[in-house]
Amino acid sequence: MENRLVIDKYSEQYYPPTPTNTTLFWRRFIPFQLIRFMILNWKIIRIVAKGHS
Amino acid sequence: MARIVVLGAGVAGHTAASYLQRYLTKEHQVTVISPSSIYQWIPSNIWVGVGRMTADEIKFDLKPLYKKWGVEFLQAKAQRFYPEGDAEINSGYVEVSFTTPDRSGQTQKVPYDFLINATGPKLNFEATEGLHPGEGNIASVCTFSHATEAWELFKEKLEKMQNGQKQTFVIGTGHPTATCQGAAFEYILNVDFEIKRRGLQDLAEVVWITNEYELGDFGMGGAFIKKGGFISNTKLFAESYFVERNIKWIKRAGVKKIDAQKIYYENLDGEYLEQAYDFAMLIPGFAGHGFQAFDKQGTDISAKLFAPNGLMKVDADYTPRPFEEWSVADWPQTYQNPSYPNIFAPGIAFAPPHSISKPMTNKNGTAIYATAPRTGMPSGVMGKVTAENIVNWIKTGNPEIKHKASMGKMGAACIVSAGYGMSKGTAATMTVSPVVPDWDKFPEWGRDINTTMGEPGLAGHWLKWLMHYMFLYKAKGKPFWWMIPE
Repeated sequence: MENRLVIDKYSEQYYPPTPTNTTLFWRRFIPFQLIRFMILNWKIIRIVAKGHS
Repeated sequence: MARIVVLGAGVAGHTAASYLQRYLTKEHQVTVISPSSIYQWIPSNIWVGVGRMTADEIKFDLKPLYKKWGVEFLQAKAQRFYPEGDAEINSGYVEVSFTTPDRSGQTQKVPYDFLINATGPKLNFEATEGLHPGEGNIASVCTFSHATEAWELFKEKLEKMQNGQKQTFVIGTGHPTATCQGAAFEYILNVDFEIKRRGLQDLAEVVWITNEYELGDFGMGGAFIKKGGFISNTKLFAESYFVERNIKWIKRAGVKKIDAQKIYYENLDGEYLEQAYDFAMLIPGFAGHGFQAFDKQGTDISAKLFAPNGLMKVDADYTPRPFEEWSVADWPQTYQNPSYPNIFAPGIAFAPPHSISKPMTNKNGTAIYATAPRTGMPSGVMGKVTAENIVNWIKTGNPEIKHKASMGKMGAACIVSAGYGMSKGTAATMTVSPVVPDWDKFPEWGRDINTTMGEPGLAGHWLKWLMHYMFLYKAKGKPFWWMIPE
């Protein structure tokens, strides 16, 4: 379901990047995503912390 | 004793009321006035709209909580503001009309020493001809009841596809200057996910229609993000998401009318076009609630309190300027009304000085662009900061405003769900810092490139799922709720 099913040449949909199967694998690979989960939490906390004075 | 009246019990209003009751002693009176006693966690509406959650999972009744906290609750809606009082009442007051069946039509004057107007937006469906959610094939996910209806309609369409009928799903913005593209973006991705989960993709055409100049604008002029060795932008990010899923898109479109079969729109080239649909979920325009305000003599001073769009004037710089001269300094920091310093308007209730995205008008004179979003995270911060400033004023007697929260300084995180599931789900974690680009501080990219990001993956779904439970826990005032940041 992830790959381009229809490519209308020269349409807007023709140009954007599409993730490769490897990229899609990492997006779903649970051990890797657990690490990303920690990192994303940390990044959000940093933004929240400097949100207001 | 001080009387603090909070209008509205959404993210900004409820957050403000929560901190007011926490920081103030019982001698002070906090009153919350809202047409509904239900608190809803709006970001999860999209999961209700695809049947992954029920409305009961994203809402709760505020009355028992406010009773426990000693906060007075009036189920009513504000009608008129009297910031100077009148001949009988020597302080500011608001006139409210009750919305419960037993008191329907009754009005009451509610005096205050401090007023927090956190009434959010009016969902201006009537600004687009034929945009009536719940009627025909038109849905909305703006409220939990709309989202429940959206799921019923979506279910009907899924059944039609299971019976071999092709269906066209059109999701996006339903007004030329609508905002909140993020919610529609999440909904289209979830609708697409659910269609594919059932193996029905060959019978579905999924179309995104938006007033954005480019995809990924999201009403904040887009954002630059660091990814894969490039500084890219949210345009590519959003387009890639759609191409990956074979979702088509129509951009620069101002929807003007919708009937039972077609959506009628103008584009920035001034063309009048149509899009057929079987299921439409279009975000309406937002407006103020049409409040009126009067001075002590009864003279109408609505223009002093409210901008022409009906939202409340605050400490923003409303001087009209061309886009090239806009600055983060135009954006408010305290949400305090300049004429009446004891009135504050956090959340969507405040009138922004201008949009963030560049305003665009076509040759027919139709403005087509995304207006400024104010998502849950900034609204919560504004609500908290407003409460802190009022508490400080009450405790010290000094009206100096110590706490500030400008959208030109604070960041925001938006977890864009693209499919529900603890192992198969996905979401894009998007953060921007600050929300309003600061081209003086960050001349290259407008924002801090190290904290502005967009990352798709399963971890994003876990984050959104966690935030659902975490923020409902906080809103319910459970033990140590105040340790959870806005």
